[in-house]
Amino acid sequence: MNSTLNLLIGMAMGLNLLALGGSRVPQVIRAVAVQGIVLGVLPLLLEHDFGWLVALVAVITVMVKGFLIPGLLNRAMRAAKIEREIDPFIGFVPSLLLGAGGTIAAVAGARMLPLLPEHAGTLLVPGALASIFTGFILLIGRAKAISQVCGYLILENGIYLFGLLLIRSTPLLVESGILLDLTVGVFVIGIIVDRIQRAFDSLDTRKLTVLRE
Amino acid sequence: MTAGHLLLFAALAMLVSALTGRFARRIWLASTIAGAVAALAAAVWVLAGGAEFEWRSGFPVGGEPLHVRFDAISAFFIALLSIVGGACAVYSSEYWTDEAHPRSARAGRVWWSGLLMSLGAVLLSSNGLHFLVAWELFAVSCYFLITLDRQRAETRQAGWLFLAASHAATLCLFAFFATMAARTGSWELGPMRERSDLSPLFWLALLGFGVKAGMFPLHIWLPSAHANAPSHVSAVLSGVAIKAGIYGLVRFSGWLPPPAGAGWVVAALGVASAVLGVAFALGQHDLKRLLAYHSVENIGIILIGLGFALVARAQGNAAWGLLALAGALLHVWNHGLFKSLLFLGSGSVVHATGTREMSLLGGLWRAMPWTAGLFMLGAVAISGLPPLNGFISEWLVFLGLFDAVNSPGSVALATIPALVLLGMTGALALACFTKVCGIVFLGQPRSGAAERARECGPLMIGPMIVLAAACLAIGLAPAFFYLAVARAAAEWNPAWGGVGGPASLGTLGLANILLLLVGALAATLLWWRTIRAGLRRAPTWDCGYAKPTARMQYTAGSFAGIINEWFAWILRPWREERRPEGAFPSGASLVDHTPETVLEHLVEPAGEVVMRISGLARRLQHGRLQSYLLYIVIGLIAVAALVLRANGP
Repeated sequence: MNSTLNLLIGMAMGLNLLALGGSRVPQVIRAVAVQGIVLGVLPLLLEHDFGWLVALVAVITVMVKGFLIPGLLNRAMRAAKIEREIDPFIGFVPSLLLGAGGTIAAVAGARMLPLLPEHAGTLLVPGALASIFTGFILLIGRAKAISQVCGYLILENGIYLFGLLLIRSTPLLVESGILLDLTVGVFVIGIIVDRIQRAFDSLDTRKLTVLRE
Repeated sequence: MTAGHLLLFAALAMLVSALTGRFARRIWLASTIAGAVAALAAAVWVLAGGAEFEWRSGFPVGGEPLHVRFDAISAFFIALLSIVGGACAVYSSEYWTDEAHPRSARAGRVWWSGLLMSLGAVLLSSNGLHFLVAWELFAVSCYFLITLDRQRAETRQAGWLFLAASHAATLCLFAFFATMAARTGSWELGPMRERSDLSPLFWLALLGFGVKAGMFPLHIWLPSAHANAPSHVSAVLSGVAIKAGIYGLVRFSGWLPPPAGAGWVVAALGVASAVLGVAFALGQHDLKRLLAYHSVENIGIILIGLGFALVARAQGNAAWGLLALAGALLHVWNHGLFKSLLFLGSGSVVHATGTREMSLLGGLWRAMPWTAGLFMLGAVAISGLPPLNGFISEWLVFLGLFDAVNSPGSVALATIPALVLLGMTGALALACFTKVCGIVFLGQPRSGAAERARECGPLMIGPMIVLAAACLAIGLAPAFFYLAVARAAAEWNPAWGGVGGPASLGTLGLANILLLLVGALAATLLWWRTIRAGLRRAPTWDCGYAKPTARMQYTAGSFAGIINEWFAWILRPWREERRPEGAFPSGASLVDHTPETVLEHLVEPAGEVVMRISGLARRLQHGRLQSYLLYIVIGLIAVAALVLRANGP
């Protein structure tokens, strides 16, 4: 079972790199959506006593992360008529290199952490660290608000992976709460993105610096 | 009726005055005076040998039980506070009226009550936490009183400078009390003379209380605050508020074991304050600014006494230390009395002429005989001349230092320069007040404002007479007042409890009385002869000019010019002159000005450096979201690295 788990997490890590290297916004959104689906399946693998609650949460996670949020983002992009080209601060190749380096560092660094023996063999912790790092790179390295939302989603996926470590001690309800927050957050950001676009004719966050004081 | 009852009554009266200050002027005045009289009675009770008063509340206030300790040292300062506070309150009711100052007079009365109450709380509180609270309230009340006339930009600047300096001082005091509380395990204050591990804290106290006391070079806030505050506020600031710093130093150098060398440092700072204070005073042309620098000088004299007392205590409680300490403590009273008298006098001058600039005054003696007479009495006292009180306290300090010269060891060598410089300070102070009295009160009026001056009313003259009478009383009966000083000194160092006062004190009192009588007799005789011979009024100093004008008189700058040049190395006077040139000179001018050197050449450049560094830090705040996120990532990685290093293999 660990091999399936590791395979899925490995896939998620690959999708991280895809999101970093993607030069067009829909491509990144798609990567985030697929990552959401992949991660949504994980609780089913981890939970031994297969209850209806776990199934429900898995289904909801897949629906929200894989379809609802990407759908909202796509809609926002169409509504705000955002150009599909990503406008990076950190170029695609440097981002990819950073992401790859971060992934390697995460795998290496996870060995140093005092983990429980049952987690030591899985890629859960390295995957979580790598996703958080990737999320940050996207947040820092992209100028458009919508690509930053994608970064935020990947960051959240990393946190979700960490949350899976505690699946035995924290009920999945906590995760579903986070999920709800996230949905509302993306919803709100979608609206704000639309408003910013209408007010300023641009979504470039570099132009929003006058509000700093 | 004990000291406790009297204090309670004083506190209630002050509370009434604080509540009524805004709308009921007469009730405010009556209750302030009642509070001051009750507090004075309580202080006299304790100083005359009555039981000290100590009270702990059963309930906590802010987490700590209230602890009031009314011992001889507290009583000593409370006595000064109540006399000066009461006298200046009366003065203010004519000087800063509702009619003349509709925007600030009401607030001024409330803050006045606040100042007296908070300062009283500082003097009585024996708990570090409550001390700090009272200290902060005291600083804030001072700030609002200084900026009563805040329509003027200069006043607002002075207020800010005061606030900044006093917060820097409070920071030191926070460190002082908090460290002490951490070491002793309690905020309670009291004698801890055997806790030698607490002795380094003295330096923090010296810094914190030194700023408030106006010790050189921490006096930067003092000249502008004293000059720009209304005069009754300047009087209480200089007379009492800066003594709160001295109180702190006396109190905690008595309770805690001072570190080695503390006495020398305090004495050296005292000598620097005394000499440089009077040097700066000589360079001033602003009457109140000049008086403010004299506060620095007198604080210096007090610190010399205190410093040598500390040295004596460190050297096995030598008896000469008692004399130095007694001189210092008595000078606290004396300076409080004559300096508030002088500030009230300068306030009357400002009230009558509307200017503090000495080059616009002159000849006020004829228009304002009472003010001039009382001001000159204060001037004689501050110059340390007999038969007034300034002479007594400086003489006690001198006496202590003379005895120290005879003592074995290195003390004698260090004492001689201190003695010389202290003597020089007195001489320079005399020169400075000759200048003030000569320029302001004698000669011809230099401006229309000075010509139109009229004597002020009884509510302004009355308090000055009270203060002058107190100055005279201490001068004429020093042995009587020495008893009170000796009690406070015994509280400071119990080893000096049984030591009697110098025998010559009684003789000195008699000599002063005799001097006064002879002086009065000579003056009467002279007056009588003058009247009999008839009086002829003529312009002074016409020097053969056909048409002399008032502008041909000595100016404040020219009077002190030579002495200013001696001290040009530190005063750094600014001077711009246009000499008359050619056979038919068209015009000439001379402008000179003595800046606050420490502020302008030390504190301001240091402040600019700090601002430049802070400006670099401001570049981090640019509004780019991406970079803020980068800061977060860097921060997270740093924290993770720290945790891993701490917990890792």
